[in-house]
Amino acid sequence: MAVSRTVIISCAGMGNRLGLGTTKALVEVDGKPLIVRHLEMLQEEKDIRVVVGYQAQKVIDVVRKYRDDVMFVFNHRFRDTGSGASVALAARYAEEFILSLDGDLLVHPADMGKILGCSHEFVSGGTPGTDEPWLLQTYQESGKEYVSAFSKEKGSYEWNGITQMKSEKMTGGTGHVFQLIEPYLPVPFLEIRTREIDTINDYERAITWVKNGFC
Amino acid sequence: MSRYIFLFDMDSTVTRQEILPTISKKLGMFERMSSLTESTMRGEIPFKQSFLQRVELLKDIPVDEVSRLIEKIELNELLVDFIQRYQNRCYIVTGNLDVWIDRLVKKIGMESNIFCSKALVQENYIQDVFSIVDKNAVISQMVLPFVAVGDGNNDAEMIEAADIGIGYGGVRDIAPAVLSCASHAVYQEKRLVEFLERLV
Repeated sequence: MAVSRTVIISCAGMGNRLGLGTTKALVEVDGKPLIVRHLEMLQEEKDIRVVVGYQAQKVIDVVRKYRDDVMFVFNHRFRDTGSGASVALAARYAEEFILSLDGDLLVHPADMGKILGCSHEFVSGGTPGTDEPWLLQTYQESGKEYVSAFSKEKGSYEWNGITQMKSEKMTGGTGHVFQLIEPYLPVPFLEIRTREIDTINDYERAITWVKNGFC
Repeated sequence: MSRYIFLFDMDSTVTRQEILPTISKKLGMFERMSSLTESTMRGEIPFKQSFLQRVELLKDIPVDEVSRLIEKIELNELLVDFIQRYQNRCYIVTGNLDVWIDRLVKKIGMESNIFCSKALVQENYIQDVFSIVDKNAVISQMVLPFVAVGDGNNDAEMIEAADIGIGYGGVRDIAPAVLSCASHAVYQEKRLVEFLERLV
């Protein structure tokens, strides 16, 4: 049975560290903006909400060229709030589950299928690969892996910002997305291959990843 | 059920065509009307001055002729259906004149749920515009939380004050002033109505 789900893509941030002068969701990897790469993999999803802030009109224009039924949610306080605030704004009056993705992320296409097939809550991560990762501490129980904590110090996986949670749990935050989730841990873990684009080095690695067929 | 009251701009929100430019095309004065409307939507001319100038353009046309033309303006039918189903909680807030939009408003069934500008008529011609709706004054009367939907510069204040303020861009571009204060923006009528259903 199809999951009753609202997909939230957070694209409000400024992406200063990347230094390209554009919000990161509009950065092109191999000729295609990151936000469009997300939308291509989410064609079957009916309730997609893109959170905009910095360069809102540009993001809206790019999204609308691809798909006209996306709802845009404004985080006017994008300069002094985190992506948790963006998700909380977009989670109002949502479907039963929220699937939250960052607009500056590249997701392995095969793994997006895994995400969309998931009908329960999860917190996702992959092999640590960035300079200052937030890590996931996990434990095994009855053959399944659960996330028990987010940590700067230790953990087996790097948190990639992708999570699916009941929508009523994703409200009222101003900080990071993981801070919305923390009160509800443990939550099942889902391993997903991604590349985050924070710096110019990340960007170059992401291009190589895509050109090599996500290998 | 929520306690929301729903406030809708008329032009390019409830209607699928822009009212005054569309009828002025039929009356052979499209260019001047369209230019005034565009400047107003962008916030370059205050609504009050612009509206009076637009009335001036049409004042030599019999009132019932304008009213009959406006009655034929295409509507966003899904949205009209929503408004009719929740009529007791929906209001149209428009700068347009009572005597011009009377037939259209009756067709929708919103005669009792409208805030609009008003004019004195003598022998079927506009004599004077005696009040121009102030959307800010309308919202200041609201006691219950409300949802506001619109697209133009003069909708920005009600959209900013709303609990849920929606810019609707299905007919024309949403004015920058609306985008700078809206909580949501939607560009497809079906999607707008789906979201409104969640707010009921």
